[in-house]
Amino acid sequence: MAVADYKKYLAENVLNERRTVTYRSLSRALRSHSTLAKQMLYDFHHSENAKKPHSVNAIYILTGTLKATKPATNGTGANGNDEDDIMPSSPYISSSMPNQDAAADQVPVSLVSLVREEDLEDAKTTFESISSIYVYSLQPTVLQDLNVLTDVGREMLVNHAQEDPLELGKQWGMIQNTNVKRRTGTRPPPPPPAPSSIVPAKRPAQSEPSQQQKKTETKEEERPEPPNPVQHQTSSLSSRSTEKAAPVKNEKGNLFSSFAKTKPKLKKEESSTPAASGAKSAEPSGPEDVVLDDASEDEAEELFPDSNKQASGETRESRKEREEKLKKMMEDDDDEDEEMLDAAETSQEPSTIDQPPPKQEDLKIEASVKGGRRRGRRQVMKKAVKKDSEGYLVTVEEPSWESFSEDEPAPPPAKRKPAVSAPKGKPRAKAGQGNIMSFFGKK
Amino acid sequence: MPVNPAEEEFLCSPSTQQYEPTTRSPSVYNPLDTFRLPPGQERHYQQQYGDMYFLRLAKLKPAVEAIAVEAWEGFTIAGEHARRVERVLDVRQGELCWVAGTIYMAMPLKPNVLEDLMKDASSDLCNFTSAPPPRRTYIDPSNPELTEIMLEDESGRLRLTGSKLRSVQLATGAIIAVLGTENANGDFEVVDIKVPDLARQPSRWERDEAPPSRDSKKGKIALVSGLGITGTSSENLALELLTDYLLGYTGSSPSRDGSLPDASGITRLIIAGNSLGASTIEEAPGLENGTTGKKLAQHKKYGYDASAYNASPIVQLDSFLAELLPSIPITLMPGESDPANFALPQQPIHRAMFPRARAYCSAPPAGDEKPEPGWFDSVTNPWEGDVEGWRLWGCSGQNVDDVLRYLDFADDDDGNIDTDGDAEARIRIMEAMLRWRCGVPTAPDTIWSYPFQTHDPFVMQTCPHIFFAGNQPRFKTAIIEGDSPLTLNGEDTEMGGIDENASAPTVRLVSIPKFQETGELILVDTETLEVEVVKFGAFAGREEKQ
Repeated sequence: MAVADYKKYLAENVLNERRTVTYRSLSRALRSHSTLAKQMLYDFHHSENAKKPHSVNAIYILTGTLKATKPATNGTGANGNDEDDIMPSSPYISSSMPNQDAAADQVPVSLVSLVREEDLEDAKTTFESISSIYVYSLQPTVLQDLNVLTDVGREMLVNHAQEDPLELGKQWGMIQNTNVKRRTGTRPPPPPPAPSSIVPAKRPAQSEPSQQQKKTETKEEERPEPPNPVQHQTSSLSSRSTEKAAPVKNEKGNLFSSFAKTKPKLKKEESSTPAASGAKSAEPSGPEDVVLDDASEDEAEELFPDSNKQASGETRESRKEREEKLKKMMEDDDDEDEEMLDAAETSQEPSTIDQPPPKQEDLKIEASVKGGRRRGRRQVMKKAVKKDSEGYLVTVEEPSWESFSEDEPAPPPAKRKPAVSAPKGKPRAKAGQGNIMSFFGKK
Repeated sequence: MPVNPAEEEFLCSPSTQQYEPTTRSPSVYNPLDTFRLPPGQERHYQQQYGDMYFLRLAKLKPAVEAIAVEAWEGFTIAGEHARRVERVLDVRQGELCWVAGTIYMAMPLKPNVLEDLMKDASSDLCNFTSAPPPRRTYIDPSNPELTEIMLEDESGRLRLTGSKLRSVQLATGAIIAVLGTENANGDFEVVDIKVPDLARQPSRWERDEAPPSRDSKKGKIALVSGLGITGTSSENLALELLTDYLLGYTGSSPSRDGSLPDASGITRLIIAGNSLGASTIEEAPGLENGTTGKKLAQHKKYGYDASAYNASPIVQLDSFLAELLPSIPITLMPGESDPANFALPQQPIHRAMFPRARAYCSAPPAGDEKPEPGWFDSVTNPWEGDVEGWRLWGCSGQNVDDVLRYLDFADDDDGNIDTDGDAEARIRIMEAMLRWRCGVPTAPDTIWSYPFQTHDPFVMQTCPHIFFAGNQPRFKTAIIEGDSPLTLNGEDTEMGGIDENASAPTVRLVSIPKFQETGELILVDTETLEVEVVKFGAFAGREEKQ
């Protein structure tokens, strides 16, 4: 406890940097008891003004009870004693309600009032009895607007966001509660099959949008900053979250790097941005969030399932490759990009833990492989515009078989590029003309 | 001015004294799920509201008839015997009789869905019906005679008249019994009125085990409402002082006379609605008209314009809660201006709104088992539950506000309603609700409500010990007592019976003021149910006067 340093701290902050220091911000900064902090403020105020009058201005808190007669000057005691009147017998419900024993009783009103140094004596006269007076804050000049003090409070919360109130509250003089229940990492998984296990798996698939989300979150958090408790838990997960920000990040990066190469990098960027204290304070809560996430948030994140950057592994390559070939067949140059997205997404799915049943595309592609001898048949999806029974035009994608033959076996990933460019270079390779393609291919 | 030793505690040089940590008294808490609606898929809105009136009447008719029998059996006027009539339509002209039914009040300024639809059809601007603008009163002051009071049951309606009605205040949805005769006009001349009166009151610690030997330390329940956080910095000074106080930073050693109520004795904070300021919801209607509407159209691509959403109020509420929660358990009720459904009963504000405070929530329910109430408990509005053994029944104030619109202000206050008369009227209304045994009588008539099918939760099965209404203009409290149990005969089987303790039910009524306007925190003693007020604010000194 740096009790001896308080003069230095106050001199730096109040006199040099001309900031407002409240007893709570002092108590947090020096990790001292709030009563002690009040005394420090008083002492500093006293000694500085003895050296040089009016160098430091104080704001006091007065607590006590108000005088029964309201002084006109007192804005805060507007209806301090209105509760004392005895209720007359009911004008509204009277005789229908037997036994009308409504009785008003004397209600004691205590007041907690914030008072400027100059008004202290005035304010004192409005109190009937004063139970305590203490210095709430010190600032170099008279505060025009007391609401500035809320900014000090907010700033304090930002600066000390990582400190766990459950651990440090005792030092600050906060009332302790032995029964407090805070959820730790091991919350029972909600009924639907383990969304928590989906979350980490899904993350890579969304790294871009979720990064943006993260960023906006941190932006928001720059402003108000509540205490952001670093969790101390007894669970197995706790070891991870009690480590400070950096190790946690690394671990996360490792976990996900197999899925998403971009992720760790982005993370680093984020932490180095001048989001500064806000972002940093948000960081340690990161792992917590993962653990504590509610089901609803998981859902929210699934709103951004498309992102093709980081689909990974060989499965992806080969799948893409097949998709490419399909594309070639179907010759849908325009919306190729969109389709690619889909491909990336579907290829992502096998890597998630509980996968949905494989899509139909799989089947038809399986069929395509069977052409071991350059020739064969495969199933492709074709778009057909039909008129349905009610006379509406409906575009249907339906599988149909077509024969093909090729020079090469399924090309390796490197071949992908040419495969893409091929259909572009050759105009009018219409779907359903696979046999013509095969004719060219044969040469 | 009395010189106080308090000055010596803080206005001195730093001491080397070690401070013993103070510990908050534990809170015994057992909320009821009376107002929780079935989850998503099982929540239907196709039902007719008529069922609610039917259920209410079925539930309360035996109770009110029991009282009426007690009072009116053998009642004679001019040799004529008062006869009991089963149904409203069975009333015969010129015959002295009594009958029970539901009050319905036809008032000219009451919102009328048919009128709304007509307006919408003619203006053709929107194809949905928005909430009607709130009115101060439903009574048309220029034509007070347009107000008709009727008694209805499943058979029909009977118009009530008589001077008796002027001395009694009624509201739609109340179940009463009336004694009188039908006159030549077909109206029922009321001679006397009976209400169900207070329901059975559970004894303290009925649902919980009383903790042993707690009498040494007195506890308090803190009630606050209308925090009105709008996210701007200018309003939160009182909130900050409130936080300081609840966390135990304010004030001095509790032993001294005249000092603040000891914060460590406060075992629970109940926030009765409107934690967020009204200005955040005023944005919504603005979107429908003119320029903002166009802007909305441009962003139609994603259907949601994130730039129109201001997160700071809820973020601040979250940080306020998260700061308090390490020290004090909180029960949070939604209110009119909070992000919850609008129709009563309002369902809990979802914990996803509170990224920090939700660490103190109970775990999401797994399967059918009933989860333990959380340290931070986001509950319904209205809400019913046991705190420190006492039964609490509270609402964020919509119920009182709405019944107040049925009252006739023109008579007594000359339109000047924000006086003692208003606060008085509000307490009277709260008393009337208890005696009607209906916490929200005007739902579903003039308060939006979920169409209950199988039960009417607004009927009070039991009488609470503390009955509070949030977001009232003024703090006011009163104690009411029911009849002594001797007069409650065993016929009232369904709603309870004779209390073994043989003491009349006593209820503490509290109307909680808006904190944002008054800076007042209400403390209810857990032993005596006495009420105290702690007021937070800044002294208006020379700077303000300039």
